[in-house]
Amino acid sequence: MKKAYKILPVYTGDVSGFASALYELGGMLVIHDPSGCNSTYNTHDEVRWYKQEALIYISGLNDIDAITGNDDKFINDIVRAANDMKPKFIALANSPLPYLNGTDFKGISKIVEDRTGLPCFYVQTNAMHDYSKGASEAFLAFAKKMLKPASEKIAGGINILGTTPLDHTNTKFSVPEGKTLVSNWAYGSSLEEVLKATSAELNLVVSSTGLAAAEYMKNEFGIPYELLGNYLDVKRGKTRRYIVGEPVISGFVAAQIKEKSGTDFNVIATTEITDGLLSECDRKCHGEDEIREALSDAEVIIGDPMFELISPESARFVRLPHFAMSGRLYRKEIPDLMRLEDYYNEP
Amino acid sequence: MQTTENDRIRIADASFPKPFKGGLEFNAPAHGTWNIVHIGFKIPKAHQIYICADNCMRGVVMTAAEMGELSRFSSVILEEDDMVFAGRLEESTIEGVTDVLNSLPELPPVVIVFPVCVHKFMGCDINFIYDELSKRFPSVKFVRGFMDPVMQKRGTTPDQRLRKAMFDIIPEGEKDGSVTVMGCDMPLAKDNDIRKLLEAQGVTVRDEASCATLQDYYDLGKCSSVICSYPAGVLGTEAFCKRTGRPMVYMPFTFSYDEIDDALSQIGAVPVFNGRVSSDRTAAGLKTLLGDTEIALDYTAVPRPLSLARFLIEKGFNLKRIYLDAIDPGEQNDFDWLVQNAPDIMLCATMHVKGRRRGKAEGDDKILAIGQKAAWFEGTEYFVNMIEGGGLYGYAGIKAFLKLMEDAFLVPKDTEDIIPRKGLGCECVL
Repeated sequence: MKKAYKILPVYTGDVSGFASALYELGGMLVIHDPSGCNSTYNTHDEVRWYKQEALIYISGLNDIDAITGNDDKFINDIVRAANDMKPKFIALANSPLPYLNGTDFKGISKIVEDRTGLPCFYVQTNAMHDYSKGASEAFLAFAKKMLKPASEKIAGGINILGTTPLDHTNTKFSVPEGKTLVSNWAYGSSLEEVLKATSAELNLVVSSTGLAAAEYMKNEFGIPYELLGNYLDVKRGKTRRYIVGEPVISGFVAAQIKEKSGTDFNVIATTEITDGLLSECDRKCHGEDEIREALSDAEVIIGDPMFELISPESARFVRLPHFAMSGRLYRKEIPDLMRLEDYYNEP
Repeated sequence: MQTTENDRIRIADASFPKPFKGGLEFNAPAHGTWNIVHIGFKIPKAHQIYICADNCMRGVVMTAAEMGELSRFSSVILEEDDMVFAGRLEESTIEGVTDVLNSLPELPPVVIVFPVCVHKFMGCDINFIYDELSKRFPSVKFVRGFMDPVMQKRGTTPDQRLRKAMFDIIPEGEKDGSVTVMGCDMPLAKDNDIRKLLEAQGVTVRDEASCATLQDYYDLGKCSSVICSYPAGVLGTEAFCKRTGRPMVYMPFTFSYDEIDDALSQIGAVPVFNGRVSSDRTAAGLKTLLGDTEIALDYTAVPRPLSLARFLIEKGFNLKRIYLDAIDPGEQNDFDWLVQNAPDIMLCATMHVKGRRRGKAEGDDKILAIGQKAAWFEGTEYFVNMIEGGGLYGYAGIKAFLKLMEDAFLVPKDTEDIIPRKGLGCECVL
């Protein structure tokens, strides 16, 4: 049964993905939820809390307000908090109960915007998806609401799209010589830098969470995009060696190995956004049983140590911890993904 | 008096028992307190199964993972289609739990199944689910857990109801003259007058928080009387006592000498010789060491924070701030006393939107915190790392507590390493 997870943890959820994506941008992030989302996020899904605090709140929804659809309290509480905390923008996220009762977040955003004078937008979540969906929706909603056409371009300007600690906990990106980093969405860039994104000439998508915003910026502002290392250009053949995890990172690692040693690896993508991100030899899996089945004939597996729990004993397992899967458990082992030699060596 | 919209207020100006107006909620990243996963694992051999959406699942499954207990934890993920069709939620829950149980190497004797807010909101037939599961797995004892925080603002919390459900499976045994202590997650400490005095009198004391085997857990029902030692355990303990006809005494860790003497006499313990004098002497020694050091405490450290506050003020300590969001109605007397005798103590909310860690500057005076939340908000490394009273009670407990304050004052702790760890006292593989 695809819904049953006997031992494997689920990935970080979409609401945490939303919070992680917008964490550093100075906005007030409000999750319309009774309790728990905030604690889960700041305990298991966020590494920055002690270094850099953010305005992330839950609404504390109770049963009566949920049943009667009492949006006034939610709106009034947001306005009061915004007056206290003076955020640069307000972003709202959904959870199962407001999703079920059809809460009109777009309407609420409009009212909040009118009453606070601050940009306010809704990020489509419902707590029933993984972080890649939530972060992707957050970057996209932010781009749609906040970006304006640039008056002039920055020659060689590049945006990096799709960096959150959930995927790139310890990865250090750099731009080629002669190029200029305009913004990094959104791990290490200020709001002011991110708002200059439309002056860039190229977007570099480094995880599936950045793809939707890249598509939007291509269509709206004419900025083309590339996937990390143009990994889809590296042809790989069918094999029983697998990289299991997020598709862009896994595809990038597979391409790096192919180029350096000629060894083929196939990607088993286990996060939600995969359209246009997989090669023919790769596949998408959903749920513990499907992943277990896909790994059952493996000779070599590269992946988060949690996947070892459902891997055949005969397979050689190469640990590549992923914060969005194992959280804090192997945080100290998480490598810089740009440094292949730190986490993969041919036997 | 009106509730305040601010994040802090003088106790003399505070409304009782709810000083702060509700609103958006902040969550301080101090996580030593136990959640429903930690609590559920107190039943030896129990397997926990949660049925919820991804984002809700993440917090509980990672709690189990960080305890090294993934082999006793499983999940059934709810998706949009479970909400659309009548009966789908029941079907997904039953078939998901069935699938999980059939895949385990052996059937666990106890399974705690946790439906969530969505089950309640959708009018899910919970009784049908448990009845059907019991039919399919007759050898398994199913415990009715709940993860429905949407209900907690107006009624009982999920952890109160979980404790009750866990106590519901303890059979009524033949009375053997023993005393069972239940309701608290912290095992009875060696410095606990309940244990010390009763055992000195030859009475067996069973502790719900430290059962090594499932049989130990079931044997809790052989007691002749019950002591509840923590507020969140009262609901379940009362239900157990009503079902089994056992008398109950409520004995949370208090700092009131009168309350201690009264409670100990209720359970038939011989009074502690020289307890008051000895505690006073220890407190005076600590006061000499601390001088005018500022102290802050929070509601997670002890079950009766205002009792502790009153004690500290009575003994001359420089208590400045109390971190809490609401006051236990059982603390009305201590609240009134503090209003009269220490009106400038500040009550500080922990969930208010303005809640932030105090920035430290060079040359700032040392602050002693009691509890993890107080430590986080005060930005201090000098803190008593305790939850739920740490299993202490009585004069021995007070003296042990004062010693912990002394240690905390003298030796700094690695706050950033300690307090993000969940479930103080549980196994943690981080």
